[in-house]
Amino acid sequence: MDSPKNVSPEELYPLALLMDELKNDDITLRLNAMHRLPTIAMALGAERTRVELVPFLEEVAQEDEDEVLTALAAELGSFVPYVGGPEFGHVLLPSLEALSCVEEPVVRDKAVESLNKICQTFNCAQVEEHFVSLVKKLASAEWFSNRVAATGLCASVISNVNPECQQYLLELFSELVKDDAPMVRRSAATKFPEIVAILPEIKFEGTIYNMFKFEASDDQDSVRLLAVDVLIAIAKKLKEQKQVIEPSSNTSSQYNSELISFAISLFDDKSWRVRYMAADRFESIASYLECDEMKQKFVTEFIKLLKDTEAEVRTAISKQIPGFCKHLTKEIILDEVIVNVEELSRDPSQHVRAALASEVAGLAPLLGKDMTIEHLLPTFLQMLKDEFPDVRLNIISKLHLVNDVIGIELLSQSLLPAISELAQDKQWRVRLAIIEYIPLLADQLGVKFFDKELGPLCMTWLWDSVYSIREAANANLKKLTKVFGVSWAKEEILPHIIVVGSDSNYLYRLTALFAVTALIPVVDEQVIQESILPFITELINDPIPNIRFNVAKSYRVLIESMCQQTTDTNDEPAVTNSNTITATGLGSNNDGHSTITYILTEAANELAEKVVIPNLSKLTTDADVDVRFFAQRSLEAVNAILHDEAMIPDQKI
Amino acid sequence: MEIDPDVQMEDVVESQHLGLTEEDDLSDVSHDDYRATSMIPATAGVIAELSSQSRNQLDDWITRLTDCQPLSEDDVGRLCDMAKEVLQFEQNVQPVQAPVTICGDVHGQFHDLMELFKIGGPCPDTNYLFMGDYVDRGYYSVETVSYLVAMKVRYPNRLTILRGNHESRQITQVYGFYDECLRKYGNANVWKLFTDLFDYFPITALVENQIFCLHGGLSPMIETIDNIRELDRFQEVPHDGPMCDLLWSDPDDRGGWGMSPRGAGFTFGQDISEQFNHRNNLSLISRAHQLVMEGFSWSHEKQVVTIFSAPNYCYRCGNQAAIMEVDENLSNSFLQYDPCPRPGEPSVSRRTPDYFL
Repeated sequence: MDSPKNVSPEELYPLALLMDELKNDDITLRLNAMHRLPTIAMALGAERTRVELVPFLEEVAQEDEDEVLTALAAELGSFVPYVGGPEFGHVLLPSLEALSCVEEPVVRDKAVESLNKICQTFNCAQVEEHFVSLVKKLASAEWFSNRVAATGLCASVISNVNPECQQYLLELFSELVKDDAPMVRRSAATKFPEIVAILPEIKFEGTIYNMFKFEASDDQDSVRLLAVDVLIAIAKKLKEQKQVIEPSSNTSSQYNSELISFAISLFDDKSWRVRYMAADRFESIASYLECDEMKQKFVTEFIKLLKDTEAEVRTAISKQIPGFCKHLTKEIILDEVIVNVEELSRDPSQHVRAALASEVAGLAPLLGKDMTIEHLLPTFLQMLKDEFPDVRLNIISKLHLVNDVIGIELLSQSLLPAISELAQDKQWRVRLAIIEYIPLLADQLGVKFFDKELGPLCMTWLWDSVYSIREAANANLKKLTKVFGVSWAKEEILPHIIVVGSDSNYLYRLTALFAVTALIPVVDEQVIQESILPFITELINDPIPNIRFNVAKSYRVLIESMCQQTTDTNDEPAVTNSNTITATGLGSNNDGHSTITYILTEAANELAEKVVIPNLSKLTTDADVDVRFFAQRSLEAVNAILHDEAMIPDQKI
Repeated sequence: MEIDPDVQMEDVVESQHLGLTEEDDLSDVSHDDYRATSMIPATAGVIAELSSQSRNQLDDWITRLTDCQPLSEDDVGRLCDMAKEVLQFEQNVQPVQAPVTICGDVHGQFHDLMELFKIGGPCPDTNYLFMGDYVDRGYYSVETVSYLVAMKVRYPNRLTILRGNHESRQITQVYGFYDECLRKYGNANVWKLFTDLFDYFPITALVENQIFCLHGGLSPMIETIDNIRELDRFQEVPHDGPMCDLLWSDPDDRGGWGMSPRGAGFTFGQDISEQFNHRNNLSLISRAHQLVMEGFSWSHEKQVVTIFSAPNYCYRCGNQAAIMEVDENLSNSFLQYDPCPRPGEPSVSRRTPDYFL
């Protein structure tokens, strides 16, 4: 490769172009130029990239707008291959060092991220040679920005050096933990858990203990709240180590007591933000400190947090209720926790109630059937009537947990009044949640009881003003037909729908069409022939094009459903009229579960030839383009089923 | 009429900006550049039916956009070309058949637009008429306008999209769409493509010769619907004149014509609405353009209705949104809705701001 001094003008071109673009006033051009750096570096080759491009970028890194510098910092992180591999990676460090000292956190964080990325590509000796001094330099700098950058580098450097060097860096880090500037302490505290995790072995004494103790008693609450995660990291590490050394031991480790008292001081902190953070992680703190002493002391703390003066803290701790209660005995839950849960369900803050509503059901499996009925059900019923829709919705969406414990029968009896009320809830998402629960209830209640109590509701939803409710109501009717059988659908459902097909409002006619179409796959051939097909065909001359093209779609569903065979089918009529032909199955035949084959039945063939194809053909000449499109598409799909009969007669069974 | 004074204030600022920068903004671009070049008379012509290839292409784009994934710059170019093919044949007063569901401002609130379809039913099963203001303010203007334009090209008979005062080069440079394009594509090409396309959007629609739909309101220079048919709409929204008024005016409790506090368009009283409806045999003027807390609001003794379809406008106004379903017998009903729940956002009322951490 030519030396930089005697290159021809063409070879200088990429660099000149880059310099030109980087001087442009338009920031988007400068940004684009930064994103093209890899291309330029490749054009220049490794040596010239090191000798010319990198020094030039070092200059650029001194001054430009933050957005451009961020892009530069990001690009440099993956620049190691372009400068000739890890052995030359160190040439990138000065630029990134400059960028990591920028006051704007976005640039700084990106630069630190890139430095860490480069550090991973270095071997142990390289890290010790280039990075340790870099961290030392940054950590002892006067400007806080540099020291913040140093905290971000410690973890990846520590994981890549010899034990002696590790100890040195740990000392360095502990200085940063005690830094005068709160920004640096915050940053150090954020990185602390990471460092704990990568250290091969920790003892809760000496450096680590001092650092943690310093943080937990910091005068800034923004630092103290970060100590919560440090505590978790230390407790987790100690528990893991203990399991390695004495896997069967269940006694509390020598450090547990100390950590427990630290945790308690965080739970009792005078700043609500610290209490919030500690409450938010209550369960994981408890699980890593698992021992009798913890159980004894944490219950009191838990109750205190449930009664905290700040709604945020109560919200956070509400979400921990089932998680923490798993560690407790049934007696303690009953004696201590349940009373407070009842109180919380009447909390003045709707957010607290909503959080409780989403978690309280998790107590049912812990309490067992009788206790749930006695102690939880009243709270449930009360929260179902909460004025805030999220509370109602959260309770409903977790009902299955209670269901598993006390059984649907009991649940539905106590819930029926509430359900009837919620079925007409103002919020459509509450109505939706209820609808989705109906098939399960139906299964348990039986036809008679269901028809009396819930049947009318199911029909009301069909004519709801919100489309999504109508759609869910259709799916619901389909599922109910599976539960109660075809004759139920024929007597209780279809007549009510079909009569609406002649309503003067198109929306009702369209909804009726959707509902009938939804039922096609779950009813028998007789119902299709006698009720459904005539109904669909009646709508073919509807003045509204939207209805006509949905007629075209319904015809396709009808023929496909009559012929569809899946591996676990129970579609008896299709099997018994066994003059059948396997057809299409255009998808993969290897996957037994999802293979859909169409077996043309005699009845389907007759319907297709006599009614469906003539009518679809008629629709393909409709005045409306969308009707023509959907008719054509349905026609092709139906023909494919019929057509394959002629194409592959050999497959006749 | 319930008008949030704050928002109207912002619109006043917006119009002041319009007035102040008039000279500066236009100095470097001659007015001719704003005119659509390949002009075809809007009266005659039939939309060519889509090829199956274009249909598949559009269906792919629509699937992508439904997940709020923006199209590539090249695809936006292709989409806009296809849209011009369709929109150039639409009329200044685009005839629309009932049944149709009429919607107001969306303003880049993509997820709330998806909520709208959950309430009103998916297109093409339900027919829709949107009365402008798809971009600006919300975070997803690109996705919102791409989605609506793609649906328009795919189902031209099922969807009508009118032009709002925000479908303009000048306004989008101030209220977010320009910046969003720059952020999402790294350059202004997509903004240029869409704002050029906006010149093709019809400015008003007429449902079954009964319900007159437009973004803003009436103009003192327009007496009959035919006056609108005579306008040349293929241009940037002008600063004054009939086309500007149709996109900027507001109804008012005071009678007659009034100065608009927005600085563009006029205010018009009940007498004006009554005369206009009587003269043109209309039963209702349906418009958007103003925030209304219930999502819809009647004025002028039900001569005029305002519909606003961006719930919790600007993510903070706390308003409901609404759409108006008009059935084949031209009777109407309103559906109100709230913002769609945003998963992942905490339910806590007061969060610890990041700068504390």
